[in-house]
Amino acid sequence: MSNVKHTDDYVLEINNISVSFDGFYALTDVKTKVKRNTVHFFIGPNGAGKTTLLDIICAKTKPTAGTVIFHPKDKEPIRLTGMKEYKIVQEGVGRKFQVPSVFVNLTVTENMILSLKGHKGILDSIFRKPSEEDMTNIHDTLKRVGLEDRADARAGSLAHGQKQWLEIAMQLLQKPEIIMLDEPAAGMGKPETFKTGEILKEIKKECTIIVIEHDMDFVKQAADIVTVLHEGKMLMEGNINDVLADKTVQAVYLGRGGE
Amino acid sequence: MKFIKKQGGNICFALIVIVLALMPLFLNAGLLSGSSTVLFLGKCIAFAIVAIGLDLIWGYTGILSLGHGLYFALGGYAMAMYLKLQETGGNITDFMHIGGLTELPLMWKPFQYFPVTLIMIILVPSLVAYIIGYFIFKNRVKGVYFSIISQALTWAAYSIFIALSTYTNGNVGITEIKTVFGSIKGSAHRTEMFKLFYVALFILVLIYALAKFLVNRKFGKLLIAIRDGENRTYFSGYQVSRYKTFIYVLSAAIAGIAGAIFVNFNGSITPSQMTISYSITMVIWVAVGGRGTIIGAVIGAFLINLCEYNLSSGSMVEIWQYIIGAVFCITIIFFKGGIVGIVKEQLPALFHKLKGKKSSAETVKEAQ
Repeated sequence: MSNVKHTDDYVLEINNISVSFDGFYALTDVKTKVKRNTVHFFIGPNGAGKTTLLDIICAKTKPTAGTVIFHPKDKEPIRLTGMKEYKIVQEGVGRKFQVPSVFVNLTVTENMILSLKGHKGILDSIFRKPSEEDMTNIHDTLKRVGLEDRADARAGSLAHGQKQWLEIAMQLLQKPEIIMLDEPAAGMGKPETFKTGEILKEIKKECTIIVIEHDMDFVKQAADIVTVLHEGKMLMEGNINDVLADKTVQAVYLGRGGE
Repeated sequence: MKFIKKQGGNICFALIVIVLALMPLFLNAGLLSGSSTVLFLGKCIAFAIVAIGLDLIWGYTGILSLGHGLYFALGGYAMAMYLKLQETGGNITDFMHIGGLTELPLMWKPFQYFPVTLIMIILVPSLVAYIIGYFIFKNRVKGVYFSIISQALTWAAYSIFIALSTYTNGNVGITEIKTVFGSIKGSAHRTEMFKLFYVALFILVLIYALAKFLVNRKFGKLLIAIRDGENRTYFSGYQVSRYKTFIYVLSAAIAGIAGAIFVNFNGSITPSQMTISYSITMVIWVAVGGRGTIIGAVIGAFLINLCEYNLSSGSMVEIWQYIIGAVFCITIIFFKGGIVGIVKEQLPALFHKLKGKKSSAETVKEAQ
């Protein structure tokens, strides 16, 4: 990035999160901060608690201890722990689930129109047409994920990777401050995975991206910061080269072939 | 070509309307044997209207209601009560006499007046649908569970209408009524019959236009979104249950209007219009015509009823039910898109395939 960010410009603070399901600790004392306008990866073997952590950030799961604090730009910090799911979405923390879930029988553009911010009432949907500005916005966003040529195609006819990009575009349209992606490259081939990485690097100029991923090449390509989780605990955090060089990380994770 | 592809449904609907509009003229010219055909087509118009409503809720939103006969009958009864009071001059009816009533019951009183009746035709089905829909959709009951509940409620309403025979004349229903334009029987009353027919046709056009308008707006896309991915729609920030209740109430109101038209042409209404099998028949019209297209519902309603009208007399009368059952099964298994689907997708695909084979055969020849 060209402009130097303040070191304390964090968008998300995860403070000593622990969560137990019937006595089993899925996460123990996880503590980290996510810098604004970065791509922050959470990696770790299966069962390390990565998805649980995302669940906690978007309030799908309640932590046993600890808090998550969200620092919106130019606004007072918000405590996400204990908030309602849909409120968190409205505050600007979006999440894309693992399975692509676009509306297959609508066109790409129609999918995008449904994702526009605001105007969700019945009367609005009957009588209000998307404004000129909305449509330009949709077009620009599609361009960024490389789907501008497919704007009139049925979403169901898109390739798997394109569906994922469409979903990312739908998230972007809501102008979130944080986008959380759960294995966005799962099921993608090498070229598609690479393009996804490039898309992430492009959109981080406008928001912060938190990603869970297994594919190490993808992590190497796109990550600014990597947090390694193992059995619910934080193993280490740093840039990708430090993480790859770490002996413990190699032992628990990389040594097993990246699972 | 592109125009036909895009406007195919509307062109088809326009053709149907033109043919229907010509029917009374044919009758006058002596091309039709009797007025019964026109009366029957009038009923078909009512069926097409209820089918459009059903298509909105089932074809677009994916909620299979097996109880639309209830709303159809509610609208029908509302109209029939008004017409009956026209016959008796506002006095109590025979069946009320027999039931021991001396005064017009309260629930009959609003139906002395025509404007109030018109409001009730829409209001009563809407209100019932709102109460049912509100609780069912708020509790996120969906899929087959909704279908079962809608069926059970229809059955309950049917039982109530039979049990309250003092007020509804039970099994017999409300009979011996004329139409809103007076008697339409006999050639002396042709003008009244034609008036009624054209009013019904006009309402069909209005309902079709309304449905088309709704599905072409963002609202329609949202209905499809709810059908294909309800959870995703919630996550996009829409209150799905409100949308579902809205479209359910709307389709119930449309069914009520259809029922009111039906009564005029049929000359009676009985609880049999409220039975589950009647409701399922409506579903079959939509399925065979083609779900989620609006025009499919119209085509299905006309086609199946016309077939029934022509075939279910004589030797076919006993096996007609089996035929319609078989057609329904074949449609669901092989032709999900119904007739419209065959014309719009399966035929072009077949065409394409044949063409592809031909051209590939030619290239092989050329290569040799």
